[in-house]
Amino acid sequence: MGLKIGELGFLQELASRFGIPVPEFVVEPVPQSILKDRLEKWGGGIVKPDVLTGKRGKAGVIRTVDDYRVAVRLLKQVAATEVSGQQPRTAYLVQSVPADYEIFSAITYNSRLLSPSLTVSLEGGVDIESVPESKKVTIPAGIFRGLNAYEASEALSELGMEGQLNAKLARCLIRQWDMFISTGMLSCEINPWRVTKSGEIWACDFKATLDENNQKARDLGIKWPEYPTNETPFVEEMREWAAASYRGQAHVSDLGGRKILPLLFGGGASTIIVETLSQLGGDPIFLSDFGGNPPYDRMKQTAAICFQHHLAQAKLLLILGGKANNTRIDVTFAAIADALQEWVEEHGRISIPVVVGRGGPGLIQGFVHLQKVLDDLAMPYVFFGPDTPITMVAAYAAELVSVDLEPNGGDGQ
Amino acid sequence: MRLQSLEDILCKGDRVAVSNVTGREASAVSFVSQLYCDNIVGGWALGKAGRTIPIPKAHDIPVFGQFDVLMDDLPDDRKPNKIIVYSPPDAVYGDVKEVIAHGRNHVDTIFVITEHVSVEVTAKLRRLCDIEGFDILGCNTLGVINVHDKVRVGAVGGDSPEETFLPGSACLISNSGNMVNTMAGYLQSAGLGVSYGISTGKDSLILTPLKELLPLAERDPRTRLTVLYVEPGGTYEQEALELAAREGFTKPILVYVAGSFADDTGISLGHAGSVVEGPNTSAAAKMALFDDYFGVPVFDPAQEKETVAQLEQTRKGIRINTLHDLVPAAAALMTALGLKRDFTPKSPLVLKPWMINLGGLSRRLPSHLVLHAETIIEPYGSMLAKHTKSRLGRTPSRQAMRHTSHASSNDGATPRVYGWSLTNLMKRGSFVEAMLLYWLGRPVRHEFEVKLTEMSLIASLTNGPGTISAQGAKLAASAGNEPNTAMMATLGSIGSIHGGNGKKAARLLIDIFGGTEMVNPYDQQDAPDLDKLAHGYVSEFKKRKAASKEAGMDYERVPCLGHPVFNQEAVNYDPRERVIHEYLAEQGLYNVFLDFYHRLAQELMTQQATSKVHAVNVDAALTCVMMGIAWPLLVDKRLTVARALDLPFLTFAMGRVAGGAGEYLDHRESGTTMDMRVPVSECRFLGRSVD
Repeated sequence: MGLKIGELGFLQELASRFGIPVPEFVVEPVPQSILKDRLEKWGGGIVKPDVLTGKRGKAGVIRTVDDYRVAVRLLKQVAATEVSGQQPRTAYLVQSVPADYEIFSAITYNSRLLSPSLTVSLEGGVDIESVPESKKVTIPAGIFRGLNAYEASEALSELGMEGQLNAKLARCLIRQWDMFISTGMLSCEINPWRVTKSGEIWACDFKATLDENNQKARDLGIKWPEYPTNETPFVEEMREWAAASYRGQAHVSDLGGRKILPLLFGGGASTIIVETLSQLGGDPIFLSDFGGNPPYDRMKQTAAICFQHHLAQAKLLLILGGKANNTRIDVTFAAIADALQEWVEEHGRISIPVVVGRGGPGLIQGFVHLQKVLDDLAMPYVFFGPDTPITMVAAYAAELVSVDLEPNGGDGQ
Repeated sequence: MRLQSLEDILCKGDRVAVSNVTGREASAVSFVSQLYCDNIVGGWALGKAGRTIPIPKAHDIPVFGQFDVLMDDLPDDRKPNKIIVYSPPDAVYGDVKEVIAHGRNHVDTIFVITEHVSVEVTAKLRRLCDIEGFDILGCNTLGVINVHDKVRVGAVGGDSPEETFLPGSACLISNSGNMVNTMAGYLQSAGLGVSYGISTGKDSLILTPLKELLPLAERDPRTRLTVLYVEPGGTYEQEALELAAREGFTKPILVYVAGSFADDTGISLGHAGSVVEGPNTSAAAKMALFDDYFGVPVFDPAQEKETVAQLEQTRKGIRINTLHDLVPAAAALMTALGLKRDFTPKSPLVLKPWMINLGGLSRRLPSHLVLHAETIIEPYGSMLAKHTKSRLGRTPSRQAMRHTSHASSNDGATPRVYGWSLTNLMKRGSFVEAMLLYWLGRPVRHEFEVKLTEMSLIASLTNGPGTISAQGAKLAASAGNEPNTAMMATLGSIGSIHGGNGKKAARLLIDIFGGTEMVNPYDQQDAPDLDKLAHGYVSEFKKRKAASKEAGMDYERVPCLGHPVFNQEAVNYDPRERVIHEYLAEQGLYNVFLDFYHRLAQELMTQQATSKVHAVNVDAALTCVMMGIAWPLLVDKRLTVARALDLPFLTFAMGRVAGGAGEYLDHRESGTTMDMRVPVSECRFLGRSVD
């Protein structure tokens, strides 16, 4: 639920803007002469992939290097090596910097405090979840007042860091806060800050997520690079379509299933339906949430995208949601029915069963419309009203699809 | 936090104001809320001041331009103490600040319904409300319902809250708005009603989290147990359970934790806050937290007795694995704790299919999967019966059509009608053939249909200069108008009475034959028992006629039977209909509708509904021709019923407008100026002069 930023984006766009000290770096493609020059100056460097991965997935790919000829080869190699299933956008060489300490710092919104909070640990450079709680300190940051140097310094003192280093690092943490709050971030982690006893500090790895609902994040004036994703074309298209309007949900996540194409309504309902399908072998193709009372055009295109990508392979179409509060069933079902009709007009008939369960405003009109179209298309169907639990409908669909049904053929034509 | 009890969140007597009240969702929800509990005192929306949302049998909702104006204008006893925020995401912060600035001393609680509010603003909202002494729920809450007091804010309960929420002793607290309704419906089968239904919202920050709500439920005298719907993300449940354990809460909890399928997959669930980040935020971790707190394993319907025995010892509650286990788990909990049900359990939770057509698939399914339609609960059953009267006809897609057409196109080179090149139509076919293509969306199937349509058009040309439509053309000529005006005058002089009777006849034929299995109207072997159909129709017609006469009301005539001129014989015919009839006979063709119409005329006489056999008039003949063409398309669902109903009138209008043009040409050449004017001496005044 947000735009992720990796270390390279931070180095190129944010660090200097907020005065955060970082090592020098060069980005592939880079001329051999510059590599030679930099490595001679730095004494060594680290080759990293520019890729967005969770946790510390890059760790296995990162290479230290001091020979520019090796650097040339490694930059190309690392740029072409998938990390946790994701293709890097490019690779970059960053200056090796010394460290007597590795510090972890993260600023995020804290569900316990209902405000932002800063978490610091002197055990940085590793996955923070592996660090014991006693070695971490979390302090709230006032959403209006912000984080001040005194509070940051106190947190560091609590961990045993005192003196000049404490003061210098506290100032860096304030700059991190400034960046966090000025750019509309959801979370921002620097792990590690590499710190020498003599007081040199560098932010050496970084990940952050921007809140796409935050005006500040939208107005940064930065064109973030597009990363190759392992999103399927379906999810990608739906994400773009979802972003086109706030009217009605159009959320999907690919589940890699092969049987049930689920058009689901309501955040909670969709979750428990997919859970039931998954538990009972329904093998849902994706998770969806199309509630939020979408207008006709919005719902029709949403359904059309689902059909375009998955209907031909699906074994069962499931249209299911709880008893809607706002969502007009007549509008949404007319849109789905029309999208289905148009898909059939374009691709030819399909005879997979359709299982429907819903309640809410305009229910009967919606049911009648959809039923007419299904009759027209000679697709077998079962409709359930709000007096049948959605999880039971999901269980029925899962059982139905577990029977060896001949796909796209047979009777009813 | 100001809240001391669930009642503080919402109770009878609370006065609600709604931001952005004229918005699509806010106005619809407010309308239902006002019908349900009449607790909305007003709303505000920029630029909409002075409007009113009318509510039948409840207070209308006045709309103000700004919140401060609302506060200034409403009398003290109508000033709101609860605010619902429906503003767009970027306006939420400003609107809440306005509420805080101008609502002090009156407003105590703010419900933010809006979704997609930034997390920064969400955190600011909570902090601001903490400082100023307001309570705030959301963002992205669906609202709250206090069932005993029969009041709600937001859309909890949808269009019919009283149907889903029966008063009772379960407090529902849910991360999903929809699940509040769903769980309330399920609990009815366990004989449990609801005290409060609370949608917390599930954004990244939940502004009134479980740890603040659970103590209120614990203290609430009408609540005996709490039912939770929980999603991954956040440490809300961990904190609430720590508190419950520390304080020794006594009221049991039933909980469903959703989203375990997404653990470790990175899949984002529907709600913004359902994101696993950090320990104890995954579904699996939350399940373990609850199981530890309860001291009993997850509910297993097969082990009900053992579960009851365990619950008698632990008394803290139990987790369920699938939502429909809520009913047996609630029953087990009530039994173990010796709690009485709120009411007799409603019908059990089973599959109750409403509409089924598995076709040939049912032969390949095991018998337990072949369901049979159950009785549909009211009011849905009656509504469905009304809507499924006719199964004929296509259901078209709808879209904005301003510069879109299925009927025609022009790629800059070739104009087309439903994809058929206009120039080729010019070369190959007739005007009537092309016209039918345009009207039907596909070429006619039979050559004779073109001929019959042409005969219908000729029959429609004129019925003499005295007809209203011919008079229209003559009036236009007399006034010195151009031909197009005269043609419009002709078209303007036809209507549902003159020329439009064919639509009623088409409706009659669709209603009667829609209940048969007939596919081919030109095949006598495929025809249903026409005498039986005619007999049934006339019997019903006589009843309606008798009832209308008894009530002193006019009755609905059989359309397109009888003629003012051809009505002197025992058996009458319209000569124009005869031409069509004879053509069919000569060609060895059959039209079931025309056959039916003649039998109908005869049956009316046989059953003494008429004193003679009325003529099947030209409108009936024309309708029968067009319905013959349309019927197979209706059966195949390639044509809408609405379009089929329009075809007879279109045909008549097409013929008559050409006739009107002829009248115009004649009148313009030979008439005198203003000769259609009626002399004053011939005009009669039926009133009385008053000055």
